[in-house]
Amino acid sequence: MNGHRAVLASDGLTPPAGAARKASKVIRIALAGNPNTGKTTLFNAMTGSHQKVGNYAGVTVEKREGRRLYKGYEFQVHDLPGVYSLTAYSMDEVVARDFIINERPDVVIDVIDSTNIERNLYLCLQFQELNVPIVAALNLNDEAISRGIQIDEKRLSEILRMPVIKTVGKKSVGVEQILDKAIVVFEQKEKPAYEVSYGYELEEDVQAVIAELKKDDVFCLRYPVRWCAVKLIEKDARADELVGMHTAAASVRAVLKERVKRIEEHFGRDSSIVVSEQRYGYIHGAAAEAVTRLHSDKKTITEKVDQILMDRVLGFPVFLFILWSIFQITFKIGAYPMGWIESLFGWLSSLATSVIPAGILRSLLVDGVIAGVGGVSSFIPLIILLFMFISILEDSGYMSRAAFIMDKFLHIFGLHGQSFLPMILGIGCSVPAVMAARTLKNMRDRVITVMVTPFMSCGAKLPVYVLLAGAFFPKHAGTVVLSMYVVGATLALFSSLLFRKTVLRGESTPFVMELPPYRLPTVKGILWHVREKTFGYLKKAGLVLLPASMLIWAVTTFPKSAGDAPKDVAMAQSYAGQIGRGMAPVLAPIGFDWKIGIAAVTGFAAKEMVVSTLGVLYRVEARADEKSDSLRSALRRDPTFSPLVAYVLMLFMLIVVPCFASVSVIYSEIGFKWVMFAITYWTVLAWSLCFVVYHSGRLLGF
Amino acid sequence: MLGLKNGESFSVKRVTIAREIGKRLADMGFVRGAKGRIVRSAMLGDPIQVKICQYDVSIRRAEAQGIEVEMAEAGV
Repeated sequence: MNGHRAVLASDGLTPPAGAARKASKVIRIALAGNPNTGKTTLFNAMTGSHQKVGNYAGVTVEKREGRRLYKGYEFQVHDLPGVYSLTAYSMDEVVARDFIINERPDVVIDVIDSTNIERNLYLCLQFQELNVPIVAALNLNDEAISRGIQIDEKRLSEILRMPVIKTVGKKSVGVEQILDKAIVVFEQKEKPAYEVSYGYELEEDVQAVIAELKKDDVFCLRYPVRWCAVKLIEKDARADELVGMHTAAASVRAVLKERVKRIEEHFGRDSSIVVSEQRYGYIHGAAAEAVTRLHSDKKTITEKVDQILMDRVLGFPVFLFILWSIFQITFKIGAYPMGWIESLFGWLSSLATSVIPAGILRSLLVDGVIAGVGGVSSFIPLIILLFMFISILEDSGYMSRAAFIMDKFLHIFGLHGQSFLPMILGIGCSVPAVMAARTLKNMRDRVITVMVTPFMSCGAKLPVYVLLAGAFFPKHAGTVVLSMYVVGATLALFSSLLFRKTVLRGESTPFVMELPPYRLPTVKGILWHVREKTFGYLKKAGLVLLPASMLIWAVTTFPKSAGDAPKDVAMAQSYAGQIGRGMAPVLAPIGFDWKIGIAAVTGFAAKEMVVSTLGVLYRVEARADEKSDSLRSALRRDPTFSPLVAYVLMLFMLIVVPCFASVSVIYSEIGFKWVMFAITYWTVLAWSLCFVVYHSGRLLGF
Repeated sequence: MLGLKNGESFSVKRVTIAREIGKRLADMGFVRGAKGRIVRSAMLGDPIQVKICQYDVSIRRAEAQGIEVEMAEAGV
């Protein structure tokens, strides 16, 4: 709507049909800023619902783009990851700076937290050095006012030579002024000339490096030279790679080495740190002129709340209680809509069964398509509820406090404080749990967390445990089931430690984590987050899960056995049966026969299917469940089974490759290479551990 | 910094470690002259919450060890 009016205003003509959305000029905006500055809220206020979410090529850093038609311009807004600096150490920061260097946006809108202007300007100055026009948004201005922070934005604008606008993102205050300023900056013929001063002591060295860099004209055209010189003094690995392309690389490096040596001797500390200090020095100078703080000794609300939530003794139980509540609400309440969805699809399949004549088509539709779509959809309530809570935790500022509380314990096993949440959620369902690992910013922490999350026994594995424990350990069923959870959690922790010491070695990532003030999450923000996660899940899981469930249907249906062969014979003769038989030699050493092989194949579709598959194979009533006595006694009668085999089978189902839905989500989070590694690891670990337990059990006479 | 008790204020002298962790600390405001205060430590004594440059940050003891500070009057 907005756009329509805008186009009319821009050229005064009625736009031709179909071209109504075309604006005359495109302004490419990069929205940048520190985390916790309300950047996403401002982005939403700017672009409304015209957004698309993806990943930056090759990395799992979220890429968000939005459009806005305003005053005859089409604003293409790229939301850069929230970062504190532009070093080469973190993927987020590399993505942000590469976007500026390679895509050359027309304007950078830098979102600044008004309550913490110095640290936010630190990033802003690095954008200035990249020679890109900037409009600064002093966001959270309402909070600054209530904390007695007064900012003279005119003075700040003069000192830093860029437009500065006060905004309150959640109330959309100042958004249009920002866009207006962006238009002004965009239309300016001359690019702004920023000058970040490093003080005379360092400036001489910066100039010396610049002089060397200027010897290559092509290099100077491609990269901002002053930025490059500063980054080199900061010992930035990426900048050093750029120098490799410089025609006089050797002399640049020689001059650099000499200058770095001088700086470190003069200042008595690492040159990379000297640059940070000088940059902060410049900022303090600017802030001193433009910012006044009315000092107050009154405790802020955040400090008061933290006295309880972050208390040494109370903090942990409070955290556990919050977690327990989320878990209970999600999986208890979520069970209802899940049930509705399941009955809807049950109704659909009985409808299809009654309408379509028996045959391949009906079987494909009922057991393949409807079952597959139903499977994908049944997770939706869980994802909606869980991400509602996660976004409340994140937006309120509690998430980083939970990480603070848990960090010491998890760090022992090479995990990060924030790994705790995905792992606990894994007890409910690995799919949303793996998605929750996105809160981990570091790729290595995320890969480890995602790979060990399936060891946290999910809800679908429970029926398998209940069936087997009920059949073979009737007196100690509860203890046996509990032992699975304990074994799973232990394996998760020690696997992380193993990964950290082998394939994902390296320096511990810094745990320098901001603890933002508590803020009331907005309904709009939560709904937006939930919607994004849900659609993201449907898109990714749907694409993989649907074909997968058809594949499982095909292997359990084909080749078709003669007319009225009983179900168990049909399944035994199907490809799944053949795979099961084929696996028999591998499974024999851990005490399993081909029937368990088939159950392992169908368990790949969904773990609870192990129970119904065994039901079919042991010829008990069609809809066997874990509490079915006939299935229990059928299992007990089978000489292959013994309490030991049953226990080993539970272990196997716990450790082996999780269901297809989880694997597809894991794939989309950590990529092909790691998912293949994980599949191998799960399989090898499952088999070896089962082998050891089975044979030790036999030796001990079980 | 590890010599300080909870609630004590400090002024940063310098960050003695370099590379990723040192650079991150400096980027986040742990620079010469910056005023801060140790707010609290977590259940097992690690990590610690530090107030620096008007905001709160959590750092591990291993990281705090690389920050040289001197005691300062309260006021942050």
